[in-house]
Amino acid sequence: MYAYNAIDQRFVDERVEQYRDQTNRFLAGELAEDQFQQLRLRNGLYVQRLAPMLRIAVPYGTLTAIQLRALAAIARDYDKGYGHLSTRQNMQINWPQLEAVPDILARLADVQMHCIQTSGSCIRNVTTDQFAGVAADEIVDARPYCEIIRQWSTYHPEFDWLPRKFKIALNGAANDRAAIHVHDIGIRIRLGDDARPRFDFLVGGGLGRTPVIGQPIREGLAERHLLTYLEAILRVYNRYGRRDNKYKARIKILVRAMTPERFRERVDAEWHRLRDSPAALPKAEIARIRAHFAPPAYEDIADQSAYLAAERLRDPAFNAWMRHNVAPHKQSGYAVVTLSTKATGVPPGDVTDEQMDAVACWSERFGSGEVRISHEQNLVLPDVRQRDLRRLFELASSACLGQANVGLLTDIVCCPGGDFCALANAKSIPIAEAIQRRFDAYDYQHDLGPIDLNISGCMNACGHHHVGHIGILGVDKRGEEFYQVSIGGNQSDDASLGRILGPSFKAADVPDVIERILDVYTGERLDGEVFLHTVRRIGVEPFKARVYAEDAPRRVPVIRPKSVEIGRPAADRSDDARPAKTVRAG
Amino acid sequence: MRGRPRRFVLVKDCAIIADEWTLVGEGPARPGLIAPLDAWFDAPDGAGVWVDGSAEVEEVAPRVLGAPVVAVHFPAFADGRGLSFGRLLRERYGYGGELRAFGEIVPDLTEYMHRCGFDAFVLADRRQAEVAIACIQRMSDHYQGSFRQPRPPYLRTAVCA
Repeated sequence: MYAYNAIDQRFVDERVEQYRDQTNRFLAGELAEDQFQQLRLRNGLYVQRLAPMLRIAVPYGTLTAIQLRALAAIARDYDKGYGHLSTRQNMQINWPQLEAVPDILARLADVQMHCIQTSGSCIRNVTTDQFAGVAADEIVDARPYCEIIRQWSTYHPEFDWLPRKFKIALNGAANDRAAIHVHDIGIRIRLGDDARPRFDFLVGGGLGRTPVIGQPIREGLAERHLLTYLEAILRVYNRYGRRDNKYKARIKILVRAMTPERFRERVDAEWHRLRDSPAALPKAEIARIRAHFAPPAYEDIADQSAYLAAERLRDPAFNAWMRHNVAPHKQSGYAVVTLSTKATGVPPGDVTDEQMDAVACWSERFGSGEVRISHEQNLVLPDVRQRDLRRLFELASSACLGQANVGLLTDIVCCPGGDFCALANAKSIPIAEAIQRRFDAYDYQHDLGPIDLNISGCMNACGHHHVGHIGILGVDKRGEEFYQVSIGGNQSDDASLGRILGPSFKAADVPDVIERILDVYTGERLDGEVFLHTVRRIGVEPFKARVYAEDAPRRVPVIRPKSVEIGRPAADRSDDARPAKTVRAG
Repeated sequence: MRGRPRRFVLVKDCAIIADEWTLVGEGPARPGLIAPLDAWFDAPDGAGVWVDGSAEVEEVAPRVLGAPVVAVHFPAFADGRGLSFGRLLRERYGYGGELRAFGEIVPDLTEYMHRCGFDAFVLADRRQAEVAIACIQRMSDHYQGSFRQPRPPYLRTAVCA
């Protein structure tokens, strides 16, 4: 893991004092509300429906046990004993007092953490595969490049006041676990013919109210050019991205307006002026950063498959957990464990301070003292000895972190929704709970196979509903909450956006609707066919027919979220209501 | 665009100084005035020019390189286009005169502007001007190269230099 040097530490310490000064000036009436808002957002502080929310940066989802304990203590001292894992691998706490935030930042700085650029119109926390560095299917470890991009993007002189937020994701494994197709910039890392890393850039992907699949813009860039090419893209975006309408301000709108070809030409022209500038990455700097991510001192132990097979036969619950929550590790004798936060009745992604302390303890006892946060809002222990899996399973189960549902229906990705978030049109957590209650019988879930179910409380899409195999979007109709259901989305390699089934449903009807969708799937699927592939093969019509059949849950007319209509010409509204209209390349 | 009211305070090279320039909303350009770009034809020696942060630096730069002052208008404090304009005018076109930021200038943003090549800032009052000077000087170092320090920290150590 990356450890701060003196420059890094001084930087975060000075940023804490800078923010303390800004807070004091705001409280003294010297900074206007709208000015302070932009400054506090760049330090992660939102003012929410009930209380402020502080989003703590967890760079590319990696934490040490020490850092996780510090987060637990902060959750205890400033929240009501909870942290929330976000879909961007960060941790959010609620209820901090605005006046106390500088002190929280100081405590974070003590453990080499911060909240810099976790919100606001700037480059956000760079994200990657939660299994980076340990996954059996890894080609190139993305973490050193994530750290290089983290440093480059932190308090950038030119790109901290962009038209809108900007999200970058990297993936270096055969399977894309970082959703690179739906980020402002997605970077695929692979090996070139010379066995050196090569970077393929996608640009203009994203969810929100206009979901778009990213366009390939550049393939096969060498390491040296990573930052100069990013500078070129960001400069074109900073100069030409729209600033008159925040709903048209993301880079995807600029790429579409310029056409991908023109955008690429413009970026290339800029890049040719920058490629040999001092921002070109020297080999020695890459080596310096990479050294931080050297593997821990693994024990030389043999693969324990035989022992594990026997244990799995003995205990069906352990078998289920092994099957869904344990992934293969690069290193013989080790495994990668996902600790699911998705227990029925617990808001997805919520963890208590006791759970954080426990996970920190397990990470040291069974692994290398490292923890990850996945964008599916779960915790990951990246280095667990296979022989310790049984014991870890028991401990996790007793701490409500042993649900054997990773990748299954009840592993729901869900934003905080109307219970907490000021932007939400509707609640999302109670919908997740109702679905979990209906379907949490393990056998049924297991029979259904992998299904990503994603819920967003508004079209800002923090729950990534567009790329859920089943997506649920909360909408507001004259003060009442309704839910629009889409199917066929996918976040991974062959990314796609879900298609809306039709008119939206009342909250109470959502579990019935999901059940009907699953009935169609189980009736229509071919041998071994997963839900997504059945949807792709038979299309949405059979699902529509079943969901809206006469005996189906009572429906309400098609509605669009009220907020769409603000200042938008009528002709413009259609793409919000039909996410299926993608701009997929090729 | 109106003439700048007198209460504004100028910070130049991290000091509060008397402003010898008068910004005007229309031409003609004359010595001592900062005139808009479209009034900047055959401008006499000693006349300044102002442009909006969204201006195309590629078109503007060749015309203004000889100006003693180029003032860049920030229409909203969170509008970062002027940062790219300033940085390109300095780094790519080598502009060497005064580069001034005016408009909606929040003291906390002058540091970004300073790193992008601005050396003069028009603040709302004396207190804001003092805060701006402190903001510019607050941070010891940064991760990236900029106009002030083209080389990132790793290029200034023995390993990579």
